Amino acid sequence: MSIIKDFINKSRIKSPWIVHFDCGSCNGCDIETLAVLTPLYDVERFGIINVGNPKHADVLLVTGTVNYRNQHVLKTIYEQMPHPKAVVAIGACGLSGGVFRDCYNVVGGVDRVIPVDVYVPGCPPKPEAIIDGVVLGLEKFAAKARGEDVSRFETRRPFDKKQADQGAVNVQTTATQEG
Amino acid sequence: MLAQYIMLVFVGLLIAPVAGGLIAGLDRRVTARVQSRFGPPLLQPFYDVAKLLGKESMIVNSWQVFCAYMYLLGAVLSVVLLFLQSDLLLLFFVQAIGALFLVFGAMSAPSPYSQVGAQRELMQILAYEPLLILVFVGIYLATGSFQISEILTHEQPLLFKLPLLFIVLGYALTIKLRKSPFDFSTSHHAHQELVKGVTTEFSGPYLAIIEVAHWYETVLVLGLVALFWSTSLWGMLALLLGTYFLEILIDNTMARLTWRWMLSYVWIVGLVLSVLNLSWLYAS
Amino acid sequence: MLPALLFICIVVPILAAGACFVVRAQAVRSATVLTTGALLTVGSVLLAAQGAFSFDPGTLGGLGWGTLISVLDFLLLAVILFYGFRLKSRLVQILALLQIAPLAWFELFALDHGAAVLPLHGDGLSLLMVLVISIVGSLICIFAIPYMKKHEEHLHLAKSRQPRFFFFLVLFLGAMNGLVLANNLLWLYFFFEVTTLCSFMLIGHDGTEEAVRNATRALWMNSLGGVAFVFGMILLYSRTGTLDLQALLMAGPLAGAVLLPVALICLAGFTKAAQVPFQSWLLGAMVAPTPVSALLHSSTMVKAGVYLVLRLSPLYAGSFLGTSIALFGGFSFLATAALALGQSNGKKILAYSTIGNLGLIIACAGLGTPAAMSAAILLILFHAVSKGLLFLCVGTIEQGIGSRDIEDMRGLYKVMPRTAIITVLGVATMLLPPFGVLLSKWLAIEAAAHNAPLVVMLALASALSVVYWGRWAGMLMSAPFSREVKPEPLSALTLRPLQILVGGAIVLALFIPWIYDSFALPMLGESVFSVHYGVLTTGAGAFAVYPLFFAVLLGALFAWWAARKSRFVPATSLYMGGANATGSLEEPAFVGPMNKPVKVAFGNYYLESVFGEGKLTRWVNIAALALLLLVMGGAL
Repeated sequence: MSIIKDFINKSRIKSPWIVHFDCGSCNGCDIETLAVLTPLYDVERFGIINVGNPKHADVLLVTGTVNYRNQHVLKTIYEQMPHPKAVVAIGACGLSGGVFRDCYNVVGGVDRVIPVDVYVPGCPPKPEAIIDGVVLGLEKFAAKARGEDVSRFETRRPFDKKQADQGAVNVQTTATQEG
Repeated sequence: MLAQYIMLVFVGLLIAPVAGGLIAGLDRRVTARVQSRFGPPLLQPFYDVAKLLGKESMIVNSWQVFCAYMYLLGAVLSVVLLFLQSDLLLLFFVQAIGALFLVFGAMSAPSPYSQVGAQRELMQILAYEPLLILVFVGIYLATGSFQISEILTHEQPLLFKLPLLFIVLGYALTIKLRKSPFDFSTSHHAHQELVKGVTTEFSGPYLAIIEVAHWYETVLVLGLVALFWSTSLWGMLALLLGTYFLEILIDNTMARLTWRWMLSYVWIVGLVLSVLNLSWLYAS
Repeated sequence: MLPALLFICIVVPILAAGACFVVRAQAVRSATVLTTGALLTVGSVLLAAQGAFSFDPGTLGGLGWGTLISVLDFLLLAVILFYGFRLKSRLVQILALLQIAPLAWFELFALDHGAAVLPLHGDGLSLLMVLVISIVGSLICIFAIPYMKKHEEHLHLAKSRQPRFFFFLVLFLGAMNGLVLANNLLWLYFFFEVTTLCSFMLIGHDGTEEAVRNATRALWMNSLGGVAFVFGMILLYSRTGTLDLQALLMAGPLAGAVLLPVALICLAGFTKAAQVPFQSWLLGAMVAPTPVSALLHSSTMVKAGVYLVLRLSPLYAGSFLGTSIALFGGFSFLATAALALGQSNGKKILAYSTIGNLGLIIACAGLGTPAAMSAAILLILFHAVSKGLLFLCVGTIEQGIGSRDIEDMRGLYKVMPRTAIITVLGVATMLLPPFGVLLSKWLAIEAAAHNAPLVVMLALASALSVVYWGRWAGMLMSAPFSREVKPEPLSALTLRPLQILVGGAIVLALFIPWIYDSFALPMLGESVFSVHYGVLTTGAGAFAVYPLFFAVLLGALFAWWAARKSRFVPATSLYMGGANATGSLEEPAFVGPMNKPVKVAFGNYYLESVFGEGKLTRWVNIAALALLLLVMGGAL
């Protein structure tokens, strides 16, 4: 059984499907995020696919400030992703609310609503930094997954979401903004 | 005799998904090359499926579970029948079990995206079913049998007698493999339009089951292509590779079109080509 | 033994019908129907076990049965004429007179009454028909007991009209048994007319304006068939000198001018089987209470039409008439499949599918090869069981949710889990391997492969029917089977027939080799299949009945087990771009302007711009009429 378990755990890092949610960004970060998916960076090399559907995704990329209206949307999308999953907040606004943090309608950074695994700073961050963030996120959820029972999905109890969320620690990415 | 049958079933059950997965991996690599990229590793589809199997079960409706397994069942049984060299029409009807249960699974969720996907999938079934039956009838007229074991004894490659029906099969193949311009019931590239169509509400292990079933289906349709040059191994390989490469080229150069266009275009062109080829068979 | 069994199959239902009419008490009526059903079931099984037979009932106290039938025949036509006047339908009057006058001339002057004609004969086809009529028909009559009670409660009638209803319902069974066992064409014609009258009475049963109008249409269309039958019979007699069906069949294929009467009798069969362009009477027949539709569509009435065409098949096999009949049937299959695609009315879908399947049977009869004939015989049986079941399901659903529209059946599982499951299984038996209907279709396609236009029609029709069946089954599976779903209460007399029919439809698939050997083979005399390990092998292909049946059964049971277990996984919300207004799966809604929920609404594609009844019917009728002219031309 352990061979299968190992293969599944190995596969998690090799097949990160992402879903990108724009919380209300100025689109600077979105352009950089989508640039990651262009042939120039060719992230499919790492098995990354932009699936556009939280139910199929492993990694949630969030850009922009969270406001009172879209925080529910963000939360729903996060909840619809099956475990194990990781969240990558992208850009100054996603990290903290950025220059909009004091606006009347702004809640703040992504981590005010859902647990964030990786922060990618920048305004906007470069595509390389975003890729770096995704890779870090993968390592995080591989670590999460190792604690999970993958023997047979039919017999498995529903995943304890609360426990998984508490396990999330905010890790600063090593990627620094260049230039 | 019986041992041989059991061997064949075994081969069908085990080799087919491996082959299907490898073909899917190869497909993604070649597609990447066509787009001047490197693309994922060859084993990427297996990683994807293993990862999905390790994810949390998340369902909106228990029918989804039932339908996912039934889809797999239909696909597996039809591949087993293919390896047992059974009746072409029979394996076609059996694969319809799978195709229909995928639609049922999508219809079970009251989600707009999966509902749209389900309806479009039905239209796809409507488009390819008559074409496949006519291709089989053509094969019967050329060889005198629907039985694959009998067809394999035919001395001349079927392609020579059924060139137009081979093109018709190509249409069915493109629809069945979910390639552009017919990829509108589910597609990795239609996020805004239908998210993921029929598979929108399937997730984790159940999506993995559907993926594996699709590998079986790929083997099935390629098996049908192989019948057109069954006389020599090299001819068969060349035909398979050529056809599949053409599919990838078409996929990468075509836009996704509408199902209305598909229905009228595929029926008209498919029927005209079939009738031409069939009447030519009658005449000769 | 034989006379007793024949008495049970033909006369007992007629007597029971009389009892239902005379005794007004509900309890007595229920008991009569139940007893008749039981008697018919046992009687038909024993009769079938006896195998092929010929029988002459002799005389009834000095009076010949033949004379009695002739007298009754004229009485019957007089009744039809009377209704023609009462309904003020010029068409019915003319058509009734057109039957009475030639028939009177024929019986009085032309027919040699001294000639020995064997009255009753049973072979594989008729015995199979007797089984279908007696068992499926009885189940439908039993289902009708609670159904009609509820139906009348709904209508608030001052005086129950059930005695009249059950009179015609049960009489129908006797008439049909008589029809399929009759060997004398005159007898056959008599029973043929009885079914016309019964169907007219039953369609008009509710007495609404629409019911009367549709009943009148059914009457004149079937009378048209009757006229064709009378003229066909007279011409046939004048050219061959006999009315003995077996003698005619023994004489082998006819040729030349003798084909015209055969074509006329086939025309009678087409009207009875509601083939395009005569489909409108059967569609109109849906105004009747559902058991009537179930009976008309599955075991009686329309089956009489295909029986007739199939029975005469050896006479025109291989001729141009046969080929054109095959095309005519194939076209009906295609046209009705296209029309059914444009429908959301459940009963209409079933009606079109019936006409289509009968078209397929007629196409097989037209081909006339042993393989095609086997397909036709098997299809008669399997279609009757599955279609009877589905009609009863729709009836139950309609009484449960008050609608027969398939869009309203979304989430039916939550309200009527038992009925929903049975309906899904019923649809599966119509559509999927390894069940009998699909097997017959497989055999039909293999048999038709030599006929390019026919096989193109079959291929298209088969795809269309997959879509209209598939989408219906999908609707029924659209409610979660959580722990809270409780089976709906159904009375035993409603539930048992459904269970027996669904069980039969599924299990009968296992008996295909046996059914073929016992009923089709002795009649065809030439084996189409060879059977090894439950795999049917024809010259051109093979259908693995047993392996497939058990593989699908095991797979489905496993899938069901997995699905049952997944009930305990909490359901998640739907993907709606994250803008879900509620987490509810029952009433999904988007967050709309001003934070107001906007309900999600969707429906099936019906492609009404192409396949709508309004668009297609006229063209279909024109094309079918042209084909009908081809059939008649083929006979000349």
